[in-house]
Amino acid sequence: MAPTKGSSKGASSGGAKGSKPSSLSSASRVSKSSKKNVKRPPPKEMKTKARTEKENLAKKKKRVYTEAELNLPKLNTITPVGVVKPKGKKKGKTFVDDEEGMMTILAMVNAEKDGQIESKMIKARKLEEIRDARHKEMEARQAVKSKKLEAVKDSIRNAKKGKGSDEKSSEASTSAKGAKSSKPKRKSVSFA
Amino acid sequence: MRSLTEEETKTLFTKIANYTGSSLSQLVAPTTGDGPNGEGERMVFRIQKDRVFYMPLKLANLAVSIPRASLLSVGTMIGKFTKTGKFRLALTSLDVIAPHARYRLWIKPNGEMPFLYGSNVVRAHIARWSEDAPEHSGCIVYSMDDTPLGFGVTARSTAEIRKLDPTAIALFRQADVGGYPFHHLKEHHLNGKLEFMESLDVNTKVILHFGVGFLCIK
Repeated sequence: MAPTKGSSKGASSGGAKGSKPSSLSSASRVSKSSKKNVKRPPPKEMKTKARTEKENLAKKKKRVYTEAELNLPKLNTITPVGVVKPKGKKKGKTFVDDEEGMMTILAMVNAEKDGQIESKMIKARKLEEIRDARHKEMEARQAVKSKKLEAVKDSIRNAKKGKGSDEKSSEASTSAKGAKSSKPKRKSVSFA
Repeated sequence: MRSLTEEETKTLFTKIANYTGSSLSQLVAPTTGDGPNGEGERMVFRIQKDRVFYMPLKLANLAVSIPRASLLSVGTMIGKFTKTGKFRLALTSLDVIAPHARYRLWIKPNGEMPFLYGSNVVRAHIARWSEDAPEHSGCIVYSMDDTPLGFGVTARSTAEIRKLDPTAIALFRQADVGGYPFHHLKEHHLNGKLEFMESLDVNTKVILHFGVGFLCIK
Protein backbone atom coordinates (compact mmCIF):
# COMPACT_ATOMS: atom_id res chain seq x y z
CA MET A 1 0.00 0.00 0.00
CA ALA A 2 2.63 2.47 0.91
CA PRO A 3 4.83 2.22 -2.25
CA THR A 4 1.88 2.69 -4.62
CA LYS A 5 0.82 5.81 -2.81
CA GLY A 6 4.26 7.24 -3.03
CA SER A 7 4.62 6.48 -6.77
CA SER A 8 1.35 8.13 -7.64
CA LYS A 9 2.33 11.23 -5.74
CA GLY A 10 5.58 11.48 -7.54
CA ALA A 11 4.03 10.95 -10.97
CA SER A 12 1.42 13.63 -10.50
CA SER A 13 3.96 16.16 -9.32
CA GLY A 14 6.19 15.49 -12.26
CA GLY A 15 3.37 15.87 -14.75
CA ALA A 16 2.33 19.19 -13.35
CA LYS A 17 5.80 20.49 -13.71
CA GLY A 18 6.05 19.56 -17.30
CA SER A 19 2.64 20.64 -18.61
CA LYS A 20 2.23 24.02 -16.88
CA PRO A 21 5.30 26.17 -17.49
CA SER A 22 4.46 29.51 -15.91
CA SER A 23 0.78 29.95 -15.13
CA LEU A 24 1.40 29.88 -11.40
CA SER A 25 3.47 32.55 -9.74
CA SER A 26 6.92 31.72 -8.71
CA ALA A 27 6.23 32.87 -5.18
CA SER A 28 3.47 30.41 -4.67
CA ARG A 29 5.65 27.77 -5.97
CA VAL A 30 8.40 28.81 -3.69
CA SER A 31 6.11 29.01 -0.75
CA LYS A 32 4.77 25.64 -1.45
CA SER A 33 8.19 24.24 -1.60
CA SER A 34 9.31 26.21 1.49
CA LYS A 35 6.29 25.10 3.50
CA LYS A 36 7.18 21.66 2.81
CA ASN A 37 10.78 22.15 3.63
CA VAL A 38 10.30 24.15 6.91
CA LYS A 39 11.77 22.46 9.83
CA ARG A 40 9.47 22.73 12.79
CA PRO A 41 10.47 22.00 16.26
CA PRO A 42 8.97 18.91 17.61
CA PRO A 43 5.53 19.58 19.14
CA LYS A 44 5.70 20.06 22.74
CA GLU A 45 3.32 18.57 25.10
CA MET A 46 0.93 21.26 26.46
CA LYS A 47 0.82 21.14 30.15
CA THR A 48 -2.44 22.24 31.81
CA LYS A 49 -1.83 23.88 35.10
CA ALA A 50 -3.56 22.69 38.17
CA ARG A 51 -6.24 24.86 39.68
CA THR A 52 -4.50 24.98 42.94
CA GLU A 53 -1.46 26.60 41.40
CA LYS A 54 -0.52 30.13 42.30
CA GLU A 55 -1.32 31.82 38.99
CA ASN A 56 -4.76 30.43 38.79
CA LEU A 57 -5.52 31.43 42.29
CA ALA A 58 -4.30 34.99 41.83
CA LYS A 59 -6.56 35.68 38.89
CA LYS A 60 -9.71 34.87 40.82
CA LYS A 61 -11.86 37.80 41.94
CA LYS A 62 -11.59 38.45 45.63
CA ARG A 63 -14.70 38.86 47.73
CA VAL A 64 -15.28 42.39 48.90
CA TYR A 65 -16.51 42.72 52.45
CA THR A 66 -18.70 45.55 53.58
CA GLU A 67 -17.78 47.45 56.71
CA ALA A 68 -20.68 46.05 58.61
CA GLU A 69 -19.53 42.50 57.84
CA LEU A 70 -16.10 43.18 59.15
CA ASN A 71 -17.34 44.32 62.53
CA LEU A 72 -14.62 46.89 62.80
CA PRO A 73 -14.72 49.39 65.63
CA LYS A 74 -16.02 52.71 64.39
CA LEU A 75 -13.18 55.09 64.85
CA ASN A 76 -12.92 58.55 63.42
CA THR A 77 -16.26 58.34 61.73
CA ILE A 78 -18.67 61.18 62.00
CA THR A 79 -22.32 60.32 62.37
CA PRO A 80 -24.80 63.19 62.23
CA VAL A 81 -26.97 63.54 65.30
CA GLY A 82 -30.26 63.03 63.55
CA VAL A 83 -29.19 59.96 61.63
CA VAL A 84 -28.43 57.62 64.48
CA LYS A 85 -31.56 56.44 66.17
CA PRO A 86 -31.46 54.76 69.52
CA LYS A 87 -31.83 51.04 69.24
CA GLY A 88 -34.77 49.33 70.77
CA LYS A 89 -36.89 52.45 70.81
CA LYS A 90 -40.37 52.26 69.40
CA LYS A 91 -40.80 53.88 66.05
CA GLY A 92 -43.41 56.60 65.64
CA LYS A 93 -45.46 58.70 68.01
CA THR A 94 -46.44 57.84 71.53
CA PHE A 95 -49.98 58.88 72.17
CA VAL A 96 -51.40 59.92 75.49
CA ASP A 97 -54.98 58.88 75.61
CA ASP A 98 -55.37 57.48 79.09
CA GLU A 99 -56.57 59.68 81.86
CA GLU A 100 -53.66 58.98 84.18
CA GLY A 101 -51.07 59.98 81.61
CA MET A 102 -52.95 63.19 80.96
CA MET A 103 -53.21 63.88 84.66
CA THR A 104 -49.50 63.40 85.25
CA ILE A 105 -48.64 65.77 82.42
CA LEU A 106 -51.21 68.21 83.73
CA ALA A 107 -49.81 68.04 87.24
CA MET A 108 -46.31 68.63 85.92
CA VAL A 109 -47.43 71.59 83.84
CA ASN A 110 -49.43 73.03 86.72
CA ALA A 111 -46.54 72.74 89.13
CA GLU A 112 -44.23 74.40 86.63
CA LYS A 113 -46.71 77.21 86.03
CA ASP A 114 -47.29 77.74 89.72
CA GLY A 115 -43.56 77.94 90.28
CA GLN A 116 -43.24 80.47 87.49
CA ILE A 117 -46.06 82.62 88.84
CA GLU A 118 -44.68 82.38 92.34
CA SER A 119 -41.27 83.51 91.20
CA LYS A 120 -42.87 86.29 89.21
CA MET A 121 -44.79 87.44 92.26
CA ILE A 122 -41.73 87.32 94.46
CA LYS A 123 -39.80 89.25 91.88
CA ALA A 124 -42.59 91.82 91.58
CA ARG A 125 -42.78 92.15 95.36
CA LYS A 126 -39.05 92.65 95.63
CA LEU A 127 -39.11 95.25 92.90
CA GLU A 128 -42.00 96.97 94.63
CA GLU A 129 -40.05 97.03 97.89
CA ILE A 130 -37.04 98.47 96.15
CA ARG A 131 -39.22 101.05 94.47
CA ASP A 132 -40.81 101.98 97.80
CA ALA A 133 -37.45 102.26 99.50
CA ARG A 134 -36.17 104.45 96.70
CA HIS A 135 -39.28 106.60 96.91
CA LYS A 136 -38.86 107.02 100.64
CA GLU A 137 -35.22 107.88 100.22
CA MET A 138 -36.12 110.45 97.61
CA GLU A 139 -38.70 111.97 99.91
CA ALA A 140 -36.26 112.11 102.77
CA ARG A 141 -33.67 113.72 100.56
CA GLN A 142 -36.24 116.21 99.33
CA ALA A 143 -37.19 117.01 102.91
CA VAL A 144 -33.57 117.58 103.90
CA LYS A 145 -33.05 119.75 100.86
CA SER A 146 -36.10 121.85 101.55
CA LYS A 147 -35.08 122.19 105.20
CA LYS A 148 -31.68 123.37 104.16
CA LEU A 149 -33.21 125.83 101.77
CA GLU A 150 -35.53 127.11 104.44
CA ALA A 151 -32.62 127.49 106.83
CA VAL A 152 -30.67 129.44 104.27
CA LYS A 153 -33.70 131.57 103.53
CA ASP A 154 -34.21 132.22 107.20
CA SER A 155 -30.61 133.11 107.71
CA ILE A 156 -30.73 135.51 104.81
CA ARG A 157 -33.94 136.99 106.12
CA ASN A 158 -32.44 137.34 109.58
CA ALA A 159 -29.27 138.80 108.22
CA LYS A 160 -31.21 141.30 106.23
CA LYS A 161 -33.23 142.23 109.23
CA GLY A 162 -30.18 142.58 111.42
CA LYS A 163 -28.27 144.56 108.86
CA GLY A 164 -31.14 146.89 108.22
CA SER A 165 -31.59 147.68 111.89
CA ASP A 166 -27.86 148.34 112.40
CA GLU A 167 -27.63 150.62 109.44
CA LYS A 168 -30.67 152.50 110.46
CA SER A 169 -29.39 152.96 113.98
CA SER A 170 -25.96 154.12 112.81
CA GLU A 171 -27.47 156.51 110.36
CA ALA A 172 -29.70 157.88 112.98
CA SER A 173 -26.83 158.38 115.36
CA THR A 174 -24.64 160.15 112.80
CA SER A 175 -27.44 162.39 111.71
CA ALA A 176 -28.16 163.27 115.29
CA LYS A 177 -24.51 164.06 115.89
CA GLY A 178 -24.26 166.20 112.79
CA ALA A 179 -27.33 168.13 113.61
CA LYS A 180 -26.12 168.79 117.01
CA SER A 181 -22.44 169.68 116.34
CA SER A 182 -22.42 171.82 113.27
CA LYS A 183 -25.03 173.11 111.07
CA PRO A 184 -23.11 173.86 107.87
CA LYS A 185 -23.93 176.99 106.06
CA ARG A 186 -25.71 176.28 103.00
CA LYS A 187 -23.99 177.47 99.93
CA SER A 188 -26.20 179.72 98.10
CA VAL A 189 -26.02 181.37 94.81
CA SER A 190 -27.54 184.72 94.44
CA PHE A 191 -28.10 186.58 91.32
CA ALA A 192 -27.62 190.18 91.28
CA MET B 1 -58.13 62.54 63.64
CA ARG B 2 -55.86 61.19 66.36
CA SER B 3 -55.13 61.68 70.02
CA LEU B 4 -52.28 63.96 71.01
CA THR B 5 -48.72 62.85 71.62
CA GLU B 6 -46.99 63.50 74.92
CA GLU B 7 -45.17 66.53 73.64
CA GLU B 8 -48.29 68.00 72.06
CA THR B 9 -50.27 67.44 75.24
CA LYS B 10 -47.63 69.23 77.25
CA THR B 11 -47.55 72.19 74.88
CA LEU B 12 -51.33 72.40 74.90
CA PHE B 13 -51.63 72.25 78.68
CA THR B 14 -48.85 74.76 79.18
CA LYS B 15 -50.72 77.21 77.02
CA ILE B 16 -54.05 76.60 78.67
CA ALA B 17 -52.44 76.81 82.12
CA ASN B 18 -51.52 80.43 81.31
CA TYR B 19 -55.16 81.29 81.68
CA THR B 20 -56.46 78.74 84.12
CA GLY B 21 -55.65 77.76 87.66
CA SER B 22 -55.18 74.31 89.09
CA SER B 23 -58.80 73.50 88.33
CA LEU B 24 -57.62 72.78 84.81
CA SER B 25 -57.61 69.12 85.78
CA GLN B 26 -61.39 69.32 85.64
CA LEU B 27 -61.06 69.49 81.88
CA VAL B 28 -59.83 65.93 81.51
CA ALA B 29 -61.52 64.44 84.56
CA PRO B 30 -64.74 62.60 83.82
CA THR B 31 -67.82 64.61 84.48
CA THR B 32 -70.08 63.32 87.18
CA GLY B 33 -73.32 62.31 85.71
CA ASP B 34 -75.39 59.96 83.74
CA GLY B 35 -73.12 57.07 82.80
CA PRO B 36 -74.21 53.48 83.12
CA ASN B 37 -72.20 53.03 86.34
CA GLY B 38 -72.91 56.45 87.68
CA GLU B 39 -69.83 57.85 86.02
CA GLY B 40 -69.95 60.71 83.62
CA GLU B 41 -68.57 61.11 80.18
CA ARG B 42 -64.86 61.53 79.64
CA MET B 43 -63.73 64.57 77.72
CA VAL B 44 -60.80 64.16 75.38
CA PHE B 45 -58.58 66.19 73.12
CA ARG B 46 -58.16 65.16 69.51
CA ILE B 47 -56.02 66.59 66.76
CA GLN B 48 -57.21 66.84 63.20
CA LYS B 49 -54.59 68.14 60.77
CA ASP B 50 -53.16 70.90 62.97
CA ARG B 51 -56.27 71.82 64.93
CA VAL B 52 -57.02 70.56 68.39
CA PHE B 53 -60.58 69.75 69.34
CA TYR B 54 -62.13 69.09 72.71
CA MET B 55 -65.04 66.66 72.83
CA PRO B 56 -66.67 63.87 74.73
CA LEU B 57 -65.11 60.48 74.15
CA LYS B 58 -68.34 59.22 72.69
CA LEU B 59 -68.26 61.82 69.95
CA ALA B 60 -64.58 61.08 69.29
CA ASN B 61 -65.39 57.41 68.82
CA LEU B 62 -68.20 58.24 66.45
CA ALA B 63 -65.98 60.53 64.43
CA VAL B 64 -63.57 57.66 63.72
CA SER B 65 -65.92 56.42 61.05
CA ILE B 66 -65.38 59.55 58.99
CA PRO B 67 -62.28 59.64 56.79
CA ARG B 68 -59.61 62.09 57.81
CA ALA B 69 -59.76 64.06 54.61
CA SER B 70 -63.48 64.64 54.96
CA LEU B 71 -63.59 65.58 58.62
CA LEU B 72 -63.53 69.34 59.08
CA SER B 73 -64.55 69.87 62.67
CA VAL B 74 -65.75 67.90 65.65
CA GLY B 75 -66.45 69.08 69.18
CA THR B 76 -65.07 72.43 70.25
CA MET B 77 -62.02 73.80 68.53
CA ILE B 78 -59.43 74.78 71.13
CA GLY B 79 -56.71 76.10 68.90
CA LYS B 80 -54.09 75.06 66.44
CA PHE B 81 -50.47 74.02 66.34
CA THR B 82 -48.15 76.17 64.32
CA LYS B 83 -45.62 74.65 61.96
CA THR B 84 -42.92 75.32 64.56
CA GLY B 85 -44.76 73.31 67.18
CA LYS B 86 -46.19 76.15 69.24
CA PHE B 87 -49.82 76.24 70.18
CA ARG B 88 -52.22 79.10 69.54
CA LEU B 89 -55.42 79.27 71.54
CA ALA B 90 -58.44 80.11 69.46
CA LEU B 91 -61.37 82.22 70.53
CA THR B 92 -63.59 79.14 70.54
CA SER B 93 -61.69 77.87 73.57
CA LEU B 94 -63.10 80.72 75.64
CA ASP B 95 -66.05 78.77 76.98
CA VAL B 96 -63.73 75.93 77.97
CA ILE B 97 -61.18 78.03 79.84
CA ALA B 98 -63.42 80.78 81.24
CA PRO B 99 -64.88 78.73 84.13
CA HIS B 100 -61.38 77.82 85.29
CA ALA B 101 -59.82 81.26 84.89
CA ARG B 102 -56.95 82.19 87.19
CA TYR B 103 -57.14 85.95 86.71
CA ARG B 104 -60.21 87.86 85.66
CA LEU B 105 -60.87 91.38 84.62
CA TRP B 106 -64.24 93.13 84.28
CA ILE B 107 -64.57 95.99 81.89
CA LYS B 108 -67.01 98.87 82.03
CA PRO B 109 -69.83 99.02 79.48
CA ASN B 110 -68.15 101.93 77.73
CA GLY B 111 -65.06 99.78 77.23
CA GLU B 112 -66.86 96.78 75.73
CA MET B 113 -67.17 98.06 72.19
CA PRO B 114 -63.53 99.13 71.85
CA PHE B 115 -62.47 95.73 73.17
CA LEU B 116 -64.79 93.84 70.85
CA TYR B 117 -63.44 95.81 67.92
CA GLY B 118 -60.00 94.50 68.68
CA SER B 119 -58.25 97.11 70.77
CA ASN B 120 -56.38 96.53 74.00
CA VAL B 121 -57.96 97.30 77.34
CA VAL B 122 -56.97 100.68 78.75
CA ARG B 123 -56.84 101.55 82.40
CA ALA B 124 -59.92 103.79 82.23
CA HIS B 125 -62.13 100.93 81.02
CA ILE B 126 -61.36 98.56 83.88
CA ALA B 127 -64.10 98.21 86.45
CA ARG B 128 -62.65 95.40 88.59
CA TRP B 129 -59.76 93.01 88.43
CA SER B 130 -58.32 90.10 90.38
CA GLU B 131 -55.70 91.10 92.86
CA ASP B 132 -52.14 89.83 92.78
CA ALA B 133 -51.92 89.28 89.05
CA PRO B 134 -48.33 89.58 87.87
CA GLU B 135 -47.54 91.16 84.56
CA HIS B 136 -47.67 89.14 81.34
CA SER B 137 -50.08 86.58 82.73
CA GLY B 138 -53.17 85.31 80.97
CA CYS B 139 -56.41 86.94 81.96
CA ILE B 140 -60.04 86.44 80.99
CA VAL B 141 -62.06 89.54 80.23
CA TYR B 142 -65.65 89.77 81.39
CA SER B 143 -68.35 92.32 80.89
CA MET B 144 -70.06 93.72 83.97
CA ASP B 145 -72.78 91.07 83.77
CA ASP B 146 -70.14 88.29 83.97
CA THR B 147 -70.23 87.31 80.31
CA PRO B 148 -66.79 86.27 79.12
CA LEU B 149 -65.85 88.56 76.26
CA GLY B 150 -62.37 87.35 75.46
CA PHE B 151 -58.91 86.89 76.84
CA GLY B 152 -55.59 88.62 76.86
CA VAL B 153 -52.30 89.14 78.64
CA THR B 154 -51.80 91.69 81.40
CA ALA B 155 -49.48 94.51 80.47
CA ARG B 156 -48.67 95.40 84.09
CA SER B 157 -49.14 93.84 87.47
CA THR B 158 -52.25 94.89 89.35
CA ALA B 159 -50.22 96.97 91.77
CA GLU B 160 -48.76 98.92 88.90
CA ILE B 161 -52.06 99.28 87.06
CA ARG B 162 -53.39 101.29 89.98
CA LYS B 163 -50.75 103.91 89.48
CA LEU B 164 -51.18 104.14 85.73
CA ASP B 165 -52.81 107.02 83.97
CA PRO B 166 -56.24 106.36 82.45
CA THR B 167 -55.09 106.00 78.86
CA ALA B 168 -52.32 103.50 79.58
CA ILE B 169 -52.76 99.94 78.29
CA ALA B 170 -53.54 97.48 81.05
CA LEU B 171 -54.19 94.32 79.04
CA PHE B 172 -53.10 93.16 75.61
CA ARG B 173 -55.98 91.59 73.72
CA GLN B 174 -55.52 88.08 72.35
CA ALA B 175 -59.02 87.15 71.26
CA ASP B 176 -62.51 88.45 71.78
CA VAL B 177 -66.01 87.40 70.83
CA GLY B 178 -66.13 90.28 68.40
CA GLY B 179 -64.00 87.99 66.26
CA TYR B 180 -66.83 85.55 65.70
CA PRO B 181 -68.25 87.28 62.64
CA PHE B 182 -64.74 87.65 61.21
CA HIS B 183 -63.83 84.11 62.13
CA HIS B 184 -66.94 82.87 60.44
CA LEU B 185 -66.17 84.76 57.27
CA LYS B 186 -62.55 83.66 57.26
CA GLU B 187 -63.33 80.03 57.82
CA HIS B 188 -65.93 80.11 55.13
CA HIS B 189 -63.54 81.79 52.78
CA LEU B 190 -60.69 79.42 53.52
CA ASN B 191 -62.48 76.17 53.32
CA GLY B 192 -65.18 76.93 50.86
CA LYS B 193 -66.58 73.67 52.05
CA LEU B 194 -68.92 74.71 54.80
CA GLU B 195 -71.87 75.07 52.49
CA PHE B 196 -74.38 74.39 55.17
CA MET B 197 -72.88 77.17 57.24
CA GLU B 198 -74.24 79.57 54.68
CA SER B 199 -77.73 78.81 55.79
CA LEU B 200 -76.87 79.71 59.37
CA ASP B 201 -76.52 83.26 60.50
CA VAL B 202 -73.62 84.38 62.63
CA ASN B 203 -75.42 83.96 65.94
CA THR B 204 -76.36 80.37 65.21
CA LYS B 205 -72.76 79.46 64.63
CA VAL B 206 -71.75 81.03 67.90
CA ILE B 207 -74.30 78.92 69.68
CA LEU B 208 -73.05 75.83 67.91
CA HIS B 209 -69.51 76.58 68.96
CA PHE B 210 -70.55 77.16 72.53
CA GLY B 211 -72.28 73.81 72.70
CA VAL B 212 -70.36 70.75 73.81
CA GLY B 213 -69.71 69.71 70.28
CA PHE B 214 -70.98 69.31 66.82
CA LEU B 215 -69.83 67.36 63.88
CA CYS B 216 -69.11 69.04 60.64
CA ILE B 217 -68.37 67.13 57.50
CA LYS B 218 -68.20 67.96 53.84
